[in-house]
Amino acid sequence: MSHSTVPRSGAGAADEKDKPPVASGGATGPDDGAPSGPSGKLGLRLRFRRDRVLLLMTLPALALVLLFNYVPILGNIVAFQDYDPYISDNGIVSMLHSPWVGLENFQRIFEDSAFWDAVTNTLVLFFLQLVLYFPIPILLALLINSVVRPRVRAVSQAILYLPHFFSWVLVIAVFQQLFGGAGILSQLLRQHGYDGLDIMTDPETFKYLITAQSVWKDAGWGIIVFLAALSSVPTDLYEAAAMDGAGRWRRMWHVTLPALRPVIALLLVLRVGDALTVGFEQILLQRDSVGPGASEVLDTFVWWNGVRNQDFGYAAAAGLVKGVVSLGLVLAANKVAHLMGEQGVYKK
Amino acid sequence: MTPNAASASTGSSGPSRRSFLASTAVATAAVAGGMPLLSACGGSDSGSRDGTTSGKDAKKILPTYVASNVVTPDIPARNGSSIGFTSELDMAGLKTSVPKKLGKGGKVTVMSPFWGSPPKADNAYYTGMNDLIGVDVVWQNQDGNTYEQKLGAVLASSDVPDVVVVPGWNMNGRIPSAIISKFADLGPHLSGDAVKEYPNLAAIPTDAWQRSIFGGKLRGLPMPSAYVSNIVPLYRKDIFDKEGYEVPTTADEFHALAKEITNAKAKRWACLDMKWTAWNIFGVLPGDEKGLMWNLVDGKLINRMETQEYLEAIEWTRKLFADELVHPDAKLGKSSATDPGPKFAAGEFLIYNNDISQWYSRTAEQAAQNPDFEVWGMDLFAHDGGTPTFWAKNPAGIFAFVNKKASKSVIQDVLAVANVTAAPYGTKEYMMTNYGVEGTHYTLKDGVPVKTDQGNLDVLNAYVMIASPASTLAHPDFPEVARGQVEWQQKVGAHTKKSSFYGMQITEPSRWANLSSDFEQLEDDIIRGRKKIGDMQQAVSDWKSKGGDQLRDWYQKILDENGSAAS
Repeated sequence: MSHSTVPRSGAGAADEKDKPPVASGGATGPDDGAPSGPSGKLGLRLRFRRDRVLLLMTLPALALVLLFNYVPILGNIVAFQDYDPYISDNGIVSMLHSPWVGLENFQRIFEDSAFWDAVTNTLVLFFLQLVLYFPIPILLALLINSVVRPRVRAVSQAILYLPHFFSWVLVIAVFQQLFGGAGILSQLLRQHGYDGLDIMTDPETFKYLITAQSVWKDAGWGIIVFLAALSSVPTDLYEAAAMDGAGRWRRMWHVTLPALRPVIALLLVLRVGDALTVGFEQILLQRDSVGPGASEVLDTFVWWNGVRNQDFGYAAAAGLVKGVVSLGLVLAANKVAHLMGEQGVYKK
Repeated sequence: MTPNAASASTGSSGPSRRSFLASTAVATAAVAGGMPLLSACGGSDSGSRDGTTSGKDAKKILPTYVASNVVTPDIPARNGSSIGFTSELDMAGLKTSVPKKLGKGGKVTVMSPFWGSPPKADNAYYTGMNDLIGVDVVWQNQDGNTYEQKLGAVLASSDVPDVVVVPGWNMNGRIPSAIISKFADLGPHLSGDAVKEYPNLAAIPTDAWQRSIFGGKLRGLPMPSAYVSNIVPLYRKDIFDKEGYEVPTTADEFHALAKEITNAKAKRWACLDMKWTAWNIFGVLPGDEKGLMWNLVDGKLINRMETQEYLEAIEWTRKLFADELVHPDAKLGKSSATDPGPKFAAGEFLIYNNDISQWYSRTAEQAAQNPDFEVWGMDLFAHDGGTPTFWAKNPAGIFAFVNKKASKSVIQDVLAVANVTAAPYGTKEYMMTNYGVEGTHYTLKDGVPVKTDQGNLDVLNAYVMIASPASTLAHPDFPEVARGQVEWQQKVGAHTKKSSFYGMQITEPSRWANLSSDFEQLEDDIIRGRKKIGDMQQAVSDWKSKGGDQLRDWYQKILDENGSAAS
């Protein structure tokens, strides 16, 4: 729970970075007639008075964020308890009555080899997806962008977006029909005298399978942001580059990619903050097919121990560790973005 | 958690239709012989959360038994089997066991595991049953294969349905503690003579009620079952006969036969995962419930995981997988498991093991479009061909509980439902519960009820999950299957022994609740070649040092207080 707030609050910060110009634009209207100088020079009180209408308008959103993102964080108290949700019908009463165990849950986690397996699997999957998955939407966006005929472009975009709307259950069933031990591919191989191939239950290649499924399902959807960024590149830049004798590749290298850079950097930072979240439903559905040794990631570890074994305190402790590490990662990635001269998730 | 015979009844497809109830039930006669607990004296505190309740404490809260035999069984119960009915049912002379509607018209929500595809909420079967009972039952059906994954979360919420059905094999982790704190004591309505208000509940065998005592109070409405194994290796008799395959009688013969059958190129494999059968043929103690996993050997309690047989059974099953004699679907996990029915019918595999009820359901669903199709139950054997030892499972394995917060009238409505669903064979209520509405769900052909397509869709699970009569096997449309089932049970029953904690409902202290939670996963990992037998030996020694040995002492104390149930 806590981990998801990290990227989200980051995204919120990213929105805010867009706001100042809007805010100061709106600020010229209000009644107080404050001088519209650079806002940094104004006192806090003045700024507050000037922006009060806007601030008022953020209140509902703020309340929602508090209620759904910050209040639940208090539930992490159970990480320090031997929490028994069944002693009362009310979760808060249960929390008050469950015995405190201090850091015992954390101690157990760090001694639990299954937890470290989950950490390893999570990181391996993250890096694999970073290398094999992350660049694909960019390439697809460039490809689509180079298509001139609007009809072809619309059709191919639709085809690329479509798999995103399939549920994981369906995606995995389709993969099973095609690549399972008794699937189409295996039977075809057998009929031609080769051995069958059971891709779906091989723990060794599971990480590639997971990545392939993600690419098939969501890479098309991921191009939307890049297409938007591409459409904002002024055409006169291309024309100027062409005038200077730049060919297709040079134009892409010197005009298109620099235009995409801030978006790529932002998404990369967000992705790193989300590194420990590598797909819950998709993995849970296939967990038993390859065994937890190859498939357990932090999210399924938390789920298995908390929801399935009702060891809530232990699971909460694991979730908390994950949240803290994720926060560290997003801050580190942001730092790197700043060093590279990009904005990252917030402006320095 | 632990693998088990009973979780097979949760198998991957529907232990459905009337036979579900029939097959998992216990015989009245068997009960008369086996009430070891009541003769034992002492017993732990009736109010405590862990331990068990027996002896005088149990006697005080158990309902009075009043037999009701509407129709005399053609095959009486023997060796722990069900009772069997094979002669023609007089459809015109069905008795009425519930003369007036006991329901008060209230609404009752029920969460229950469901194996198969649930029908629409307002189907004719649910409407018909609700009219008959006088209660508006609203079903919240959940996938039975992954039920335990939802149960814990639902019970932890403040929104628990009026009735929750919990199979014994799902009582892992803190679920037993949740049962004790979240569900109502039905004692005031059922203990002693109070049960006579509900004659069909009074006819439920006492040892099934004994198993319904949780935390010293009568909380469950039981589904009585035969205590012999419910896991039958089912095979395609028609194809066996055609190809001249012989039914194996040793573990090696099974392996050799599996090799002969398998031809992957022609899309045919020998079997699915045979782990549950391996437990039986290697004489491994049952994993159905925590208490059953222990047995007194030479004065010392041992757990099934510590036995040589356990490792041998895993190894034999592993070899079937390693030699690629198992259909690839069986390698997939629970979450992606599919109904074995269609591929079994297509001959993609010829043997699989599951709840005995599937013997009937496979027969019934193929009868119309596939007249050659014949499924039969393979007799269980000892792995080495010698005299086998099978272990008894408990005489009731699935319970319906009522929410503690339910009002008195809701409890009475639930009991009204149970009184109808527990009606014995030969009554109108049994017919309605197990066959649905005449004309809609079944038609009479020469006086024999035959299910329609809608009957096969609608009349599945649901009502049979709330209390059942003494275990009954009766299929008026396929009497030879009923006979085969009871005879199979009696053959197995002849070699079935009871382990030390047979029949007791035991709640372990919660500090050890998850001690063995990962063993089922480990078994499956080894069987599918992802882990080694050595990993299991390591896990068992970890289990001992992390609390297994203390747990052994804890069980020893129960044994000292209550006496052994072993036979």
